[in-house]
Amino acid sequence: MKYFFFSLLLFTAAAQATQALTEFKSPEQRALFKELTHELRCPKCQNQNIADSNAVVAVDMRAKTLELVQQGQNKEQVLDYMKSRYGDFVHYQPPLNKFTLILWLLPALMVCGLVVLLLLRRKADRSVVATDPGDKIQSQPEQQLEQQLDQLIEQYRRKS
Amino acid sequence: MRKLAFFIPFVLFIALSVFLFSGLFSNPMERESSVLDQPLPAFALPDLHQPEKIWTPDSIKGKPLLLNVWGTWCVTCNAELAYLTELREQGVMIVGLYYQQPVDAAFGEVFNLSALQQEVTLKLEQQGNPYQWNILDKDRTLIFDLGVTGAPETFLIDAQGIIRYHHIGDINPQVWQQKLAAAYQSLQE
Repeated sequence: MKYFFFSLLLFTAAAQATQALTEFKSPEQRALFKELTHELRCPKCQNQNIADSNAVVAVDMRAKTLELVQQGQNKEQVLDYMKSRYGDFVHYQPPLNKFTLILWLLPALMVCGLVVLLLLRRKADRSVVATDPGDKIQSQPEQQLEQQLDQLIEQYRRKS
Repeated sequence: MRKLAFFIPFVLFIALSVFLFSGLFSNPMERESSVLDQPLPAFALPDLHQPEKIWTPDSIKGKPLLLNVWGTWCVTCNAELAYLTELREQGVMIVGLYYQQPVDAAFGEVFNLSALQQEVTLKLEQQGNPYQWNILDKDRTLIFDLGVTGAPETFLIDAQGIIRYHHIGDINPQVWQQKLAAAYQSLQE
């Protein structure tokens, strides 16, 4: 039994080894392949990159990416190759065009709107302060009230 | 000013609600194919049943047709075979593009053409045969160039070999009437 489990371990090691056996001419190509498979999106699965997915189309795209990278194509060329077949959807970095413009504009517009709103508020607050009849008039009845209150407290003290 | 301050959040809330609500009914799989209105990509692939015969974009030009990507392993494809056969009987020209799944050499799998031919013949005898002929795309090269993400998918190709319409998913009476029939009829003229 012990040997059985041990041999299982051997098998898993072998399986991992076959998956990792991809040879590159240079470390740059290896890095590019890794970068591309993490940035390219599997068109069949919802929100998985092709490094992460084992859907047939993702497997094919990985193989194609590898082939193109090994041919010495750069990142832009590989991305264009994929986009011409699977559309902009396939890259996690959407391009700037009339359909995606709002993604860039919306945050800026929101900040602008917020600034305008804050400025308007300040102005409104200031105008309230400016048109206020003033502290003196308001404080006078308050003083009177306080005097009355003091008198009342005095009366109650005497009673008790 | 007060009134406006009350209405701005209200309008924003309504806009957001409408946006999210419409999202409930949208299909995330639906997106326009990037090969639309382009000629068929170059290919030279064998016929499934007569491998010595090679199909190219030029050899399938001449009549508008449906190029249907399918495989016997694909359940939805099998479900649409009967309706596609009906369409064939109505005179629609349908060509099959056979989607061969990858063969995993690590598990000792080998591609066996005659077994595949038998399987396809049997399936088409059982479910109906809508295809004028089948193109075998063993390494999914044309399938890749067409941007196919799975099966079934169907392309409407005009007489000049230009891709006019792309549909992901099965073809049923509803889909045919709503999406493909008019486009196919217009190509006939």
